[in-house]
Amino acid sequence: MATDRVAADARLEVLTVAAPPVRRASALAVVARFCRKKPLGAVGGALMLLMVVTAILAEPLSTHDPIATDAAHTLAPPGPEHWLGSDHLGRDIYSRIIHGSRVSLVVGVLSTLLGSVLGGLIGLLSAYFGGKTDLISQRLLDILQGLPLLVLALVMSAALGPSLPNVIIAISIPIIPRAARVIRASVLAIREMQYIEAARALGVGHFRTAFRHILPNTIGPFIVLTTAQLGSAILVEAALSFLGLGVPEPYPSWGRMLSVSAAEYAAKAPHLVLFPGIAISLAVFGSNLLGDALRDTLDPRLRGA
Amino acid sequence: MLTLFGMSVVIFLLLRLAPGNIVDILFATGGYVSEADKQAIMKELGLDRPIWRQYVDWLGEIFTGNLGKSYRYDLPAWEVIRPLVPVTVELAILSTIIAVLLGVPTGVVSAVRQDTALDYALRVFSLAGLSMPSFWLGMVIILALVAWAGWIPPVTYVSPTTDFKIHAVQFLLPALAVGYRSSALITRITRSAMLEVLREDYIRTAWAKGQRGQAVIWGHALKNAMLPVITVIGIEFAFLIGGLVVTETVFNLPGVARFLVQAILWRDYPVVQNLVMFIAIVVVLSNLAVDLLYGWLDPRVRYGD
Amino acid sequence: MSRTRVAVALLVLALAVGLVAVSTPAIGQAPKSGGVLNIMQREDLPQGFSIHETATISTVWPAMPCLSNLVIFDPLKQQESMDTIIGELAEKWSWQDNYRNLVFFLRKNVTWHDGQPFTSKDVKYTFDMVREAPDATAKLRINPRKDWYANVEAIEAPDPHTVVFRLKRPQPSLLMMLASGYSPVYAAHVPVANYRTGCVGTGPFKVKEWKRGESVEYVKNTDYFIKGRPYLDGLRYLVIAERGTRFAALQSGRLDVAFPGEGTKTIAEQVTKAEPRIKVTIANQNVNDNLLLNATRPPFNDVRVRRAISLAIDRRAAVQAVHQGGAVVGAAMAPRPYGTWGLLEKDLNSLPGYGKPAEEKARARKLLAEAGFGPQNPLRIEMATRAIAIYLDFASFVINELKQVGVEATLKQIETAQWHPLATRKEYEAAPNLTGIGPDDPDANFYENYACGSPRNYTGYCSEEVMKLIDAQSQELDAKKRLALVWQIQKKLEEDAARPMIDWRLDYFMRWDHVKNLVPHQSIYNYGRMQEVWLDK
Repeated sequence: MATDRVAADARLEVLTVAAPPVRRASALAVVARFCRKKPLGAVGGALMLLMVVTAILAEPLSTHDPIATDAAHTLAPPGPEHWLGSDHLGRDIYSRIIHGSRVSLVVGVLSTLLGSVLGGLIGLLSAYFGGKTDLISQRLLDILQGLPLLVLALVMSAALGPSLPNVIIAISIPIIPRAARVIRASVLAIREMQYIEAARALGVGHFRTAFRHILPNTIGPFIVLTTAQLGSAILVEAALSFLGLGVPEPYPSWGRMLSVSAAEYAAKAPHLVLFPGIAISLAVFGSNLLGDALRDTLDPRLRGA
Repeated sequence: MLTLFGMSVVIFLLLRLAPGNIVDILFATGGYVSEADKQAIMKELGLDRPIWRQYVDWLGEIFTGNLGKSYRYDLPAWEVIRPLVPVTVELAILSTIIAVLLGVPTGVVSAVRQDTALDYALRVFSLAGLSMPSFWLGMVIILALVAWAGWIPPVTYVSPTTDFKIHAVQFLLPALAVGYRSSALITRITRSAMLEVLREDYIRTAWAKGQRGQAVIWGHALKNAMLPVITVIGIEFAFLIGGLVVTETVFNLPGVARFLVQAILWRDYPVVQNLVMFIAIVVVLSNLAVDLLYGWLDPRVRYGD
Repeated sequence: MSRTRVAVALLVLALAVGLVAVSTPAIGQAPKSGGVLNIMQREDLPQGFSIHETATISTVWPAMPCLSNLVIFDPLKQQESMDTIIGELAEKWSWQDNYRNLVFFLRKNVTWHDGQPFTSKDVKYTFDMVREAPDATAKLRINPRKDWYANVEAIEAPDPHTVVFRLKRPQPSLLMMLASGYSPVYAAHVPVANYRTGCVGTGPFKVKEWKRGESVEYVKNTDYFIKGRPYLDGLRYLVIAERGTRFAALQSGRLDVAFPGEGTKTIAEQVTKAEPRIKVTIANQNVNDNLLLNATRPPFNDVRVRRAISLAIDRRAAVQAVHQGGAVVGAAMAPRPYGTWGLLEKDLNSLPGYGKPAEEKARARKLLAEAGFGPQNPLRIEMATRAIAIYLDFASFVINELKQVGVEATLKQIETAQWHPLATRKEYEAAPNLTGIGPDDPDANFYENYACGSPRNYTGYCSEEVMKLIDAQSQELDAKKRLALVWQIQKKLEEDAARPMIDWRLDYFMRWDHVKNLVPHQSIYNYGRMQEVWLDK
């Protein structure tokens, strides 16, 4: 892990140095500028990139079948055969972590997107139409927001049963009210601006106004929101899996790797507890760093979302 | 009030969507199921009645102050819940205090020294707290304590009147673990609020008038930056009331959240419903407290306008 | 000279007396009274103290100190048998009419914790309720062990201190089942539902307080019917849900004693290495890991397919992978030397799954091919498993073994609430399972798990031949002949892959060395009474 991070940092340095001071903002230049201005954000971006790469290239990157048990080599310490050691069933921890990034990323990204899109739509429509629509949807969102995130996810996953799509749905629900509020606030601000009034005065229809003129202007807050929620979605997935309510076996999930057996073997094989925990922490750390930096860059006024 | 009513409907329906009921769990402890006996027990518990009837009955119970009976323990639900409340509330308050003591100074220093190495170090430290899964951190703390010190805090609740010192030790460790995590959010919001305030004219004026830097920062600036910070503290406190599932489990503290998970797994509807309502009420109350504080701190906000 | 001799003699005498004085506590160690024992409890008590309404150690372990049996396995002897059974509420007992009537002579002057006298009525009430006799005066809400008493025709209480169990046919094993921790006597004057929230017993300890989800506290019963017992002033069972925390609490001295069946080999090694004052006793749990194959539906209604699955699972690898060596292989009865009825080594080695892994897997492929499954048409099965680590680990191992014979097994995770309804309706294909058996006794095991129509016969396996053999061994009075019958049944069950046995779990039972006279038995369900336990502190 540590070496991966150094490599990522080095790659970023190259990016930063190589970027020429150009007037016309190319994509590369934007990235380079971002890296220079927000070095922490860049580290976060690199961590997220790393996670995406391992998730896509999980098969070639892993050294073993992540679900193959091996009775002869249980609880092996980290070494040349098992880079990060093996677990109590002899499964390779490195390969399981690599494959586990898939579960974390898929669940994290999809549940965040699902929650943000649904919530964003509610926020957009509620702010645009105002009045009763706004009032009712706000009350509904209050209901969702009043219930603690983990409790809601727990009850949802118990109600829906443990499966990949259901876990995604369960985690996305608590994101809806947060997303709706952020988007609503920024739409309310935009709505007052003159060009919207102009568009309305010119007879542009409601939906056209909402989707053509207002929506594009909420992209900034939306990106900020999703990166900020991604980290917490990954954490909730881990916690649910830890409690046995998350993504079912045999998918290797980081949270499940930490459940019961890990604590049992901790004294003899601390790598069982350490590495999956570090993987979760780094992924969430990365998305938090990136989220913070994006927020500062895109929307300095948005706080506490 | 309307919100609470909505929450009661949502939680009631979600629970009944979950497959299986308490009677299935009871039979699971006996290792078999008898359909005839199952029907008899369901009738005894009132689970055979239509869902809307069960809901109306529950509402009636809430209004008469009698919260129904725990299916699992055959005791009034309130009697089961009551001892849990002080544990969770105390843990939440302690954690919040630690989070504020840790988070506010970090945020201020981070803002004053913006973009210095110190700023980066503090932000990495605080974000790291937000990124580590709380269950993992708790687990690592317990395992490390027992491995190196051969000691862990008491595993049964010791009330402060029995032995205050042991009580304090028992709560301090989990509160530190939780407070560290929550402090990250407070650091983040304090930093951005301070950055904004520090750019305001009156701060520059104060500085220009030769007032001492420290006094300006900790006096004027911080006071004006407190509003958003208080919002986050309120949200965080509400979250802690229901969100400490795994911390309470790992440190074996008999609090609300740990019990709630058990009650969900046992499908002990009366306990779950009432616990969730309790959490929801705390959320509503802490929002109210934040609003009141707002009015008190910021003369511009007046209610009734 | 003589003075020297006298001096030497005196010295020797003094030394000898000194030695005796020193060594007496070291060897015999007179028990000390007093102290409170802190005991591990893995979850809150399901159904309170109502042992008769559960089939889990989570109830038996913390409820046993409150209650008493008619007879019980001697708490100080690890190996249980007919010969280690001692009287508890029964002072004496005697078989009459060639093992057809079992007469108990009860202790006099025994009182319930609420002061009421204990009589033969309580015994009749309890066991009529458990066997669901037509004239039973109470009904258990959940009754998992009704089948244990299927052979009881009537229970009579001719006077307050005599009880007679009249049987339909001879059944020596009845006494074994009555000696299990699963067979306490309830008070006839206390509604059965009250045992779910509290406990009125005749046991060595009285319940002081049950803090829901947290702990159960007991105080010494000063009126206990055995004089001088219990030694301890009290017991505290501490509920600790998180496994890592449980053993951290034991290691750091917050607990004196572990929970039966919770100590694995690896944990015991770790804990005793860190804290040498913690002692480990290796004991049979009388709990086995087995694979349920639904015999009522395709594909497992075909014995060839079942046997192929059984062949594919390398039993010795399972012991290594799933238990890190902390288990032993065996058929339907606990293996030797832990159990009395286990198959001999040579018989065991001829069963499916015990030979050379490569050869066994080749045989499995051949059988599958005969049944119509092969590379073109692979057997696909779905394994239903609960989201509990022990099941998941076991399932992961089995899936990997089956993959090697071309069987594609997938996992379907289900909630605890759903499992038993599915199993009862036989709506599953395969499932990893744990079976715990009260006493190490063929009747207790076979009637519960293999008899046609038993509610806990989850696989639906039903063989007339096996049923006849089970009844035959049950009434066989000649020990040698009975053992031969029990062996025959075990071999037949494994060959039919009725419920392939994978391994028998060993308990690495841990306690601090200051805890004396707590001896784990060969079954986790039978040694929780605690009246002999004392603290050397």
